[in-house]
Amino acid sequence: MTLSASLNGAEQRRPSRFGRMLENRLPYLIVAPAILILLLVGLFPLIYSLIVSFQRITMTENDTSFVGLLNYAELFRDTRLWASLGHTAVITAVALPLEFLIGFLMAQLFIDRLPGRQLFVALLVLPTVISPIVAGATWRLMFDVRFGPIGQILSFFAGEPVRILWTVNPAYVYPAIIICEVWQWSPFMFLLLLAALSNVDQSQLEAAEIDGASYLRVLRAVILPSIAPVVAVACLIRSLDLVRIFDIVWALTEGGPGSITETISLYTYVQGFSQFETSYTAAISFLVIALLTVITTLVLKRMELAR
Amino acid sequence: MRVGRLPARKVRILALRYLGATVVTQLFLFPVYWLFMISFKTPDEIYHVPPLWIPAQIQFSNYFVLFKDGDVVAILNSLIVAGVSSGIAIVLGTLCAYSLARFSTGGENLAMWIISQRMIPPIAVVFPIFLLYVHLGMVDGFFGLILLYTAFNLPYVIWMMRGYIVDVPLELEESALVDGLNRWEVIWKVVFPMVRSGLMATSVFTFVFAWNDFLFALVLTRTEVITFPVQLTHYFGGQSNFWGKIAAMSVLGTLPIFVAVSVMQRYLVRGISLGAVKG
Amino acid sequence: MKFKTFFGATALFVLTAASGSAADKDAADTAVEAAKKYAGTTISIVWEAGLQSLDPLNYSGPQWEKLTGIKVKVVEVPTDQMFTKIMQDFKSGAGAYDALNVIPSWMPDLARAGALEPLDKYVDKFGYRDELQDIAAAYRDNQMQYDGKIYGFPDDGDVMLLYYRKDIFEDPKMKEQFKAKFGYDLAPPKDWKQFDEIGQFITDKMAPKVYGAGFFRTAPYPQYMFQERFRTEGGKFFNADTMKATVNSDIGLKVFKGMLAENKFMPPGVEQWNFVDNLAAFLQGTTAMTISWPPYGRWAAGYGSGEEALKWVPKSQVAGKVGYALTPLGRPELGVGFDLSVSATSKNKEAAYLFIQWLNSKKTSLERVQLPYTLRDPFRLSHYASEKYRSLWPDATAYLDTIKTSGEKGLLDLSLLQQDKYDEAMTKAISSLWAGEDAKAILDRLAQQFDAITEKVGIENQKAVYKVWAAKPGAYPQ
Repeated sequence: MTLSASLNGAEQRRPSRFGRMLENRLPYLIVAPAILILLLVGLFPLIYSLIVSFQRITMTENDTSFVGLLNYAELFRDTRLWASLGHTAVITAVALPLEFLIGFLMAQLFIDRLPGRQLFVALLVLPTVISPIVAGATWRLMFDVRFGPIGQILSFFAGEPVRILWTVNPAYVYPAIIICEVWQWSPFMFLLLLAALSNVDQSQLEAAEIDGASYLRVLRAVILPSIAPVVAVACLIRSLDLVRIFDIVWALTEGGPGSITETISLYTYVQGFSQFETSYTAAISFLVIALLTVITTLVLKRMELAR
Repeated sequence: MRVGRLPARKVRILALRYLGATVVTQLFLFPVYWLFMISFKTPDEIYHVPPLWIPAQIQFSNYFVLFKDGDVVAILNSLIVAGVSSGIAIVLGTLCAYSLARFSTGGENLAMWIISQRMIPPIAVVFPIFLLYVHLGMVDGFFGLILLYTAFNLPYVIWMMRGYIVDVPLELEESALVDGLNRWEVIWKVVFPMVRSGLMATSVFTFVFAWNDFLFALVLTRTEVITFPVQLTHYFGGQSNFWGKIAAMSVLGTLPIFVAVSVMQRYLVRGISLGAVKG
Repeated sequence: MKFKTFFGATALFVLTAASGSAADKDAADTAVEAAKKYAGTTISIVWEAGLQSLDPLNYSGPQWEKLTGIKVKVVEVPTDQMFTKIMQDFKSGAGAYDALNVIPSWMPDLARAGALEPLDKYVDKFGYRDELQDIAAAYRDNQMQYDGKIYGFPDDGDVMLLYYRKDIFEDPKMKEQFKAKFGYDLAPPKDWKQFDEIGQFITDKMAPKVYGAGFFRTAPYPQYMFQERFRTEGGKFFNADTMKATVNSDIGLKVFKGMLAENKFMPPGVEQWNFVDNLAAFLQGTTAMTISWPPYGRWAAGYGSGEEALKWVPKSQVAGKVGYALTPLGRPELGVGFDLSVSATSKNKEAAYLFIQWLNSKKTSLERVQLPYTLRDPFRLSHYASEKYRSLWPDATAYLDTIKTSGEKGLLDLSLLQQDKYDEAMTKAISSLWAGEDAKAILDRLAQQFDAITEKVGIENQKAVYKVWAAKPGAYPQ
């Protein structure tokens, strides 16, 4: 039975005109409140920001004359900006697959019944729940050479004192950030995948099992396609958030040493908040939005193709 | 599932899974444990070399101070702001997601525009929103923050729920419609229960995103509606680090969500398959 | 004879009467009297969050309300957000803040933007000029005015002190061995060469229980130590004619290399230390020397250790064993500091002004700097001389004397237009140093960054501001 047929069928049972109008307009009605809120809080600031990016407002100047693409031109000459984009790309490219993999494995571990699963799942959500500021600060304390247990544990296993300066040594700052980030957000993937995996069509699973298919085959043929929509959205959301990563990096390294862990949001923050380069910050923001739009469009296209 | 009745192989697998679960949980919980312990430590224990894994005694003074000084009100504020905004976002967002999933309202363009909201770096819009709020007199008030968090969570809810709704077989709804239910009842009685696990997962994180937001709470409040993250950052001074308070406050701030997740999480996984799927 | 005595007595009587009535009208009381007509209103003041805020929250706010009926709303803001919040409030026209705490190096930027209210007319109206003179010259002459107008009252005697372990320095065996090895007496280092020698010596003898020294090495404070050492070794930040940065001179390189070399005799991991890590190490007795602001001195002596608010401070193991001295080369940095100001967009300017006059007055400030949990350091001549303060702990006299001398010899923080950009560049350069990058490369890059900032601000603009700053006696060692 097609959707429209069922709609027609439903209409016949509701003779009132108001009722019919409601049904016809239903899609728009239910979308309306959400869209309204988004417009108010989402659209106005964006437009304002866009206008500002074409002006020259800084800390001391309130020059609202139109200077065209001056700020945007400056973006391309700003090496620190492009460096920060590179740093962000590195973090995203490493953290996202790790989070997904770990989340997936965890979900597999818990998908079948297990005594006390309730407690496990509730506990495992905790890392994501903790404020990222606190997470960063706690990991920083844990990484501390004198006061933190990480060095202690590593020394124990290595048999000799391990004195890694996680937040100062350039070789270890990225691992530190990624460890903290993956620790905090794998449970996010875990929970989402758990919900998605539990929705997989049991009958198909059972059929495959009867057929004697290997686990990997079942995975590829039944499970992955079934959870694909959720996975795609989860990865998209997560990558958008990773590009905007801030609190953890700020708490661990403040973008240091030097600027080698400065991500794009840190750089934007410094420009916009500490130094009040309002117009320039607006320009950077739109560059970021443009980049993210490109990424999202590509991802969505792939999703379409997969479907 | 009685263990005694199972073949040895299954018991072994179960035991292994249990071991794996315990190890994984311990690994993930270690930093939480560390933080928890800090809330009980004295400053000398926090700055002790080598690091202490267990404080000499469990003392609750850090917690008492938070109550005495009234800092705990930040948790209440956050509960109100995050709770209400998540609730609204879930309801409006899921409805919107249903429309997008079933009717493709606005096509891909609308969907794209919605998700693009999450691409906006907060820095870009925080000051314009501040200006808007100053103009409307919504600074340092509950309404303004709730509105903001609802708006910022809507894209997430819409997109996640669309994914879960798409998963629900169309035949279920169609047969319900044939049975005489109108669209609202279909959404309420057929679709919602099917996406319950997805809804729970989404709710948890919607709440968490609102709960942990710092930037907007910082800019849009002054003294009346200090939320949990803003209160936390007051403890990180350039010349002082109230680690005891930071840890105690963090534990207090984590409790509500922990409780909520424990309660909700039995909906997260559908243990029994619904035979109705076969239709 | 009789006439002389009579005249003398009359003169004495008149003088006493005059000073008596003048004492009735001290600045604190004047402010309170004048403020009473605003009873029932509320004024807000922006204050650094955390420990600093306890002053207005627990002491001065309630006091003021009791005396005048004006409620004080304390807006706590983390330090690194203060500038932003003040600017945002100003630029949005919200006018939500009445009084402000402002770090002096922000003053040029804030004053130029028009965010601060010039205070001269209030100072004259309420007769505050006299008591302003009592503020130590280092702060009064450098942290109060911009472009000839008063924009804030210095309220914090921030200066770097050298703290050292008297017990180690006075230990006979240590003294003997040191003299034998180096040929001069073991005493607080007069220059950086001595500092290195003493530090290494103590570490060799006493590590790992005690190390020669420790410093905070992570953002945002090490750059103040760099500013000090760079200038005392003879460096200049800029060429005054071309405004080209000269931080990458040989002196800059010498300073950077020297700083890096110190880490060798400091506890392992010192590169990660922040203000509190350094404090903990010193209080626990792990380091024999350190350089920091005055609060270390109070807390090391155990002053206020019973206070609830100071519970986060590790117990001092070195109370009674701490000596105070000038930093090596004797020109300590007047790092950071705080001013009390009035927001230009406030709707209660006079009430706000009266509050800060009262806070900053001789009488009230003396009470405030003695609060056990305060972070405000003595900044008035009357503070240094106060009998009460001098008896707070056995070494308090030496402490106050050292602060006073340090203030007199103090060096000003660099304060140009968009100063925080220069500060940020220096902070990042120092963190690169710990990360192992080549010192010359870092300094060259720093100079480039300085030049880029100067260019953006406008070379001529900056040159003018730099000229004014560099002309002050506390800008460069003469």
